[in-house]
Formats: sequence, C-alpha cells, structure tokens
Amino acid sequence: MDFMMMNRRDFLRVGSKIGGGLMVSICLPVYGKFISPNQTVTANIEFNKFISIDTNGEITIMLTKHEMGQGTGTAIPTIIADELDADWSKIKIEQAFYNPKYTWLEMGTTGGSGSIARTWDAVRTAGATTKALLKQAAANKWGVDPMVLEVNNNNVTNRITNQTFCFGELAEEAAKIPIPESIVLKKPKEYIYVGRSVKNRITKDVVSGNMRYGIDMNVPGMVYASIERCPVYGGAIKNYDDTEVRKMEGVIDVFPIAIPQKIKDSLHSIIGYVYDGIVIVATSTWIAIKARKQLKVEWDGGENANRNIVSLNEDMAALKDSPAFMSMDLGDVEPCFQNPENKILEMEYNTPYQTHAVMEPLNATAHFQDDVCEIWVGIQDPEKTINNVSKALEISEEKVKIHVLKSGGSFGRRYAADTSIEAAFISKKIGKPVKLTWTREDEIRNDHCQPYLKNYMTAAITPDKSVAAIENQAICTINYAVWSTKWDHYYAFPNIRCYRSKVSTLLQYGAWRSVGEHSAALSKECFVDELAHYLEKDPLDYRLELLSHEVDWGDPKEMSQATIERMLPRKRILRQRQIEVLSYIKAKELWSKETLDTGGKGLAMMCFGDTVCAEIAEVTMEGELGYSVNKITAVVHCGMVINPHFGRGQIEGSIIWALSAIKYGGVEIENGAIQRSNFHDNKVLRMDELPEIEIIFMESEERPSGLGEPGTPPLAPAVLNAIFDACGKRIRKIPVTKRDLVESMDSIS
Amino acid sequence: MVQYPLKINDKIYFINSEPDKPLLWVLRDNLKLYGTKYGCGIGQCGACTVHLDGMPMRSCCLPIDSVGDKSITTIEGLSQQSNHPIQIAWEEEDVPQCGYCQAGQIMSAAALLERIPNPSDKQIERAMKGNICRCGTYSRIQNAIKSAAKKINGFYDDE
Repeated sequence: MDFMMMNRRDFLRVGSKIGGGLMVSICLPVYGKFISPNQTVTANIEFNKFISIDTNGEITIMLTKHEMGQGTGTAIPTIIADELDADWSKIKIEQAFYNPKYTWLEMGTTGGSGSIARTWDAVRTAGATTKALLKQAAANKWGVDPMVLEVNNNNVTNRITNQTFCFGELAEEAAKIPIPESIVLKKPKEYIYVGRSVKNRITKDVVSGNMRYGIDMNVPGMVYASIERCPVYGGAIKNYDDTEVRKMEGVIDVFPIAIPQKIKDSLHSIIGYVYDGIVIVATSTWIAIKARKQLKVEWDGGENANRNIVSLNEDMAALKDSPAFMSMDLGDVEPCFQNPENKILEMEYNTPYQTHAVMEPLNATAHFQDDVCEIWVGIQDPEKTINNVSKALEISEEKVKIHVLKSGGSFGRRYAADTSIEAAFISKKIGKPVKLTWTREDEIRNDHCQPYLKNYMTAAITPDKSVAAIENQAICTINYAVWSTKWDHYYAFPNIRCYRSKVSTLLQYGAWRSVGEHSAALSKECFVDELAHYLEKDPLDYRLELLSHEVDWGDPKEMSQATIERMLPRKRILRQRQIEVLSYIKAKELWSKETLDTGGKGLAMMCFGDTVCAEIAEVTMEGELGYSVNKITAVVHCGMVINPHFGRGQIEGSIIWALSAIKYGGVEIENGAIQRSNFHDNKVLRMDELPEIEIIFMESEERPSGLGEPGTPPLAPAVLNAIFDACGKRIRKIPVTKRDLVESMDSIS
Repeated sequence: MVQYPLKINDKIYFINSEPDKPLLWVLRDNLKLYGTKYGCGIGQCGACTVHLDGMPMRSCCLPIDSVGDKSITTIEGLSQQSNHPIQIAWEEEDVPQCGYCQAGQIMSAAALLERIPNPSDKQIERAMKGNICRCGTYSRIQNAIKSAAKKINGFYDDE
C-alpha cells in the first residue's frame, strides 16, 4: 500500500501530554486520495493526540471510525494495544469528533468493509512506535541497551536485573525522545489480542441501558422536530395548509424545507439529496409526529409520480438493445454468437430496490448559533456531510462542526447527509438547538435504497458443450463506477464482453450492505450454476475448472495498460483465495449432497474487496413461502481475523441481512411512492426464521481484508441455486415469493 | 394536559402530559430515560419493551393514560448494578453488535425467564420473535437466554 512508502516521521509525531505523559500523534494517509510513492507529505499536517499515556499508565486511544455495530471501535484499539504490549484494562477509547487532523487523507469515512483493512499498517506502526519510545525511555533511565529490555502488560522489564518500570513511570521521559529510525512489527504468532475474541467495549453500556446513540442526544434548551416529506423522489411541495397544526398545544413552528434548485445542484447527488417537506417543531418528539396528521399537503411528484415498478421494468428492458457503455471486451465474442452451430442461452436476472430499515431511526441534532453550526449525529461520512451542510446553509466548511455519535446500525444508509442538512436548516431557522427524529415510516418511505439492477447474461455454447463466449448487459438505476471489479468476470471464459447502461431512477438510491456486489453476485453466480447444469458438470468443479487459469487480459480494448497493471495483482490474490475456498469445500466434503434427505443444495461465491466468501445453502420446499432455508455454511477468506467473535457476527449478520431481502425484500411502488411503511409490510427476518449457520474462516496470516459485507452477496444466488436443486425451478430474481414458485418457470436443461 | 403519577424503577414521578402520549415518549422526552428505544411506534419491533408489573409491554403504543398505578420497569431499573442474570449472560456471550435493539431484547428475555424459568428452544423463539435485530444477533441471544436459565436453575434442560 502507498502508506508503506512513507517515512514514519511523516505521519507520526511524539510530544508531551498536557498534565504530563506521552502523546503520539498520527495521521492516517490511507484512504481516498492516494499519495504517490515519491510524494513527500510533510506539509501542513496538523497532528493530533492519537495515543496518549498518562503518568498513571492509563492509555487513551482516539477512535477515528464510526462505531455502528461492526465492532471496529473495539477491534482497532486491540490492534494498537497488541503492538504496544499494553494491559487491555488500561486502555480507554475516546471517539474523535470529526476533524481532518484525525483523519487527514483518510477522510473519516467508515464503510466499504474497510476500517481495519485501510488502517492496519498505520495503527500497528503507531502502536509499535509508542512501545519503542517507552522502551528507549527505560533504557535511558537505567543506562542500558534497549536490547536487554522486554515489554509486557504495560511494563518494561530489564531481563538482567529484573527491574520493572510501568508505562506511566516512563511516559514523561518517552515524550522527550524522537521517533526512532526503525521499528519492528510483531509476527502473527506473537499477537496477544489480535486473533482472540476480546469483548466488545460497548457491551457493558448496552446491557445497562447507558449506551447513547445519536437519537439519544440531549442539548439543553433543545426543541423537537419531525418532517412530512414528499413521498416521491424529485418531487416538490405544491401547497399546504397548517391551520389545524398551529392550533395544537406544544407546536412551536411550521415551515417548509425546500432547498433552492441552484443549491440542490451543488450538493452531492446521493449524499446531499434532501426531500422537500414541511417541518413541524414542537415541545416533544411525540407532538411533532402527532401534529403531522393535521397537516394538509399537496405534492407535485414531477415525472416520477407517473412511474411504478412495471414502467421502470419496461424502461430498463427498452435499453437492452440500445447502445451501451462497454466495460469489458476480451477476445472476440461476435463470431461465437453468430455461429449458427452454437446454442445461445440468455437469462434475465433482477435485483430490486431494497430498503435499509436500520434499527435506530434516522436522526440528527443541530445547534446553529453565532454563524456556527454544531451537529450531533451517527454518520459514516462526516467529511462529505460537512461539505454538503455548508453548501446547503451557505456557510463555510469551517463553521460546521460534527460530533460523530454511535449509531444503531448504518448498513450504508448513514453515508447520507440528509438528516444533518435538515437539522441544521431547522436550527438556523428557529435559532434554537433542535433534535430531528425520522419516524420508521419516514425511514422506509424516504429511504436511499439499494439501486435496481436488471442483468442480461448470454452465453454461446459450442456443440461439444463448452462455453465459447459470454456477454452481459447490466442495466441499472445508478451509474456504477466506470471501472469497477464487480462487473468484471473472474471466471476465465474464452471471450467476454460486458455492457452497462443506466436508466433514470425512480427512487433515491444509496449504499446498502454490500452494494453492487450483492446485485452482481446474483446474476453471475446463478448464471454459472445454470451453465454448469447445462454442461452436465458439478457446479463446484465447474467453477474450479473456470478458475484453473487466469482471465486473459491480453487485449482489453477499453482498458488502459496502467489500469490493468494496477488491478492484476489484486485479481491474482482473489483468484488464489477463490481456489483455496472452493478446494477447502471440496476437501471437507461440505458440498457433498449425501447428507441431504430431502430438498436441495446451492453454492455461490463472491469477492468483496479482497475478501472471498462462498456459501452453501440448504433448502426444503415447505413452509409459508413454499421454501425454507434451513442451513447456510459460509467459508470465508479474509486474511487474518482480528476478532473471531466479531468476525462470525459480521458474517452471520450479513447472511441474515441477505435472507431478509430474499424472503421479504424489494419495494412496491405506486405513483412514484414507496408503498411500504413499517415492519409489518417491510418485513425482516425474526428469530423463529433463523437457519442453522456454520462459518469457517480460512487460516491465514495475510493482512486483514474486511468482513462487514462479504457475507451478503453469495447468499441470494446460493439460495436460488438450492431451490433449483430442490425442485427444478429457476428463479432469477429476489424476493422469492410463493407465486414465483407456483408459476411455471422453465429450467434450461 | 393532565398530571399522572408514574411509578418507574421504584421511584414516583409526576408527569404533565397529553393522555394519549405513549409511555415511550414520556420516558425519553420527559424523563430523559434514554435506555428505552424508539424503533417502529406500532409495536412491531420490540425495541421499546418495558415491564408493566413484570409483564413485557411495548411502550411505544401504551398511552400514559392507560398505565394507571402499575409499576413500570425499564432497562435502567432491571437490576441494581446491571447484574440481572440475563444482563450477566448478555455480557458473557458478548451479544450486541450495534446494541440498539438490545434493551428491548433483554427486557423480553428477562420477562420470559420470570414466566418460564427453563424455556425450550420453541418457547424462546415464541417469546422473542417480537424483537427485531437488524444486525442478526439472534443466535447469541438464544445462547445468552439459555446460559441465564442455567444460572438461575442450576441447569438448562433443552427438551
């Protein structure tokens, strides 16, 4: 990683803590804006107090990531404590409020399953450097060579004399020592916390009821707000009547929120989108919510008001034969598809819009005073939030201050700055601190949904039953990045061509646990299963066969040589991990069908970042929906697992997340508006629906590559492939309803 | 506005409120007892579960007017030092991920063990399926309930 090219002196600094002690500062030049290897990065870096050690030995680590249930709020400090050989009970974790000096080029973004993967080098180095300083301090005090010292559990011991200093006694001396020229990082077998299930630091507060989330914020003198928003994306207020609302006791103010088009255009199209609406400010959340029922509003839904899922589907299908952006073109597919001897298989796969239903309803608390706007919110992207709030309020970025609070699940939804913009707008208007709470209905109806994807997959198959070429045409409601691995084919078909096109979206979209990988996996992994079946090959063996050589990037046409050179090493890691995962499944006979009395088994695999996850689903054709998912086995290669308990939790959670989408996902849309509103019609998996889940992590000493999302993408195709195995019906979409199973669907055999 | 005397966690509070205000918002907005969470407002997710005379209730759809003289227990008052067997088991199993639904889960689980000290898997599912967890900590919740039952009874007998 680029980070490794830098000198430690460039991003670490040592100093005295106010009141005595050691302070090691760090800047994390990891994510987002890449640093080129020969760039020097000494200019204008403001250092922080990343690790500080008190004279009593208490160690404070600043958390620059947003804790939203993924566990990095505990896991990152364990990595530091490990390199530091600290006593875990002496570690205090403090949330850094958003400030570029805590994140610098890392942007403070939390997401993409990247918190540990992207900070791994930096935080380990910071921990090890701090240890080296303490060791040198002890050496100075005793007048010995640091070689004779060992560090253990917050103590430095002289191996010869057996004398010991605790970290606290060394902190002040260590603060005077310059950053050492070289440090030694631990080898995996030397880890004391990494690889062990250290308890989550939030558990105690959760269990006692003392854990505070964004929604629990209390600013003295604050009032409460709720917003009736336009149910249609892109819609506006036509007129409204608030006469009855104003009569209600406890209602303080009613006014519209409608960001002028000129400002709207300057905001981030995904993160900065704010629905037009009517704000009600009241003396309590309850009155603000209740008063909305007395509001009479007429909306102008604009173009989207005339659309629904059927028309969206037609819009997408209409693009099938239109010119599209070619994202991948390897070999020569044309002759394969034109050869009349070849059989052409074409399948259409659909992954619909998905809602988030994050457990903690969206919210933000803001206080605008003296031209400065302070915001308290659980958020994944404070940097872009500051940028968008400042544009929406027409104040400078320096005037927006964000306190990042813990949140009750984010899953991509809390990337958006909408709640912060709304709360800031309201506080500015009324001149008081305000807490804005979205109702559950608001959260579902005005969600930033997972985009809709329709993917046509086509294969040309020779008379001797081998795949000569495949082509796919992805039509989506979002323009995914022009170059994006999720649309590449990791299986080495001889000729490959991919097209992509975008249809104007009907709903606002955003990130949803495992983003495009979820949609891409369904079409790719179901199609490869269909091919295996047609070719009369075992789905696992067929995948291994396709992975037995690399995709030939010899003539990529649309891709620059530099791009290929950058991506090839990563693709090789992924292919290696895919082979290891599938070989493990084969060797351990996890794919063997002998254990199955009734029903069927399905396999699917997908990469997310550098993590590979394969899942085997076992289903029987029974139960309320006509099918029942009874067992999921996941085999995961993510490099080192920092905390196995958290790791299993993330994969389990991802499976449950994906299973909710398979059983109950998608959204119904009429006149441009989402027809769901709460957990009765936007169902999610409950405890009595839980399948048996077995999780296996491949043993590895490679750097950790992320676990928050990789468990989600393979689940839907694994279940769909299992349903085919059980009953011979190919379902090429989610959710899978009883009707899908009753309606006759041809398999391609 | 009506004044209501409420017995919450063994303390008496006098609350001025509209009669239809749900107990959830009384706890959160009036009393700043933030341990009880808002999740859906229609009794579908269980995040707001409290005990009313020991029975689990969804406080989001319980108007203050209907509480009467019943004794209310919230997560903050479940035990003196967060040492109810359920809370201890929750810590030992390290159940939470984001933690937001967990106060409701704990209150439902504590009420279950009060009613059935040694619940079967099916009884656990029946009692807990009203509590949604989007992080998917269900199997850990099941384990914690069983381990708490074991602590209370000295054994856990899974039918």
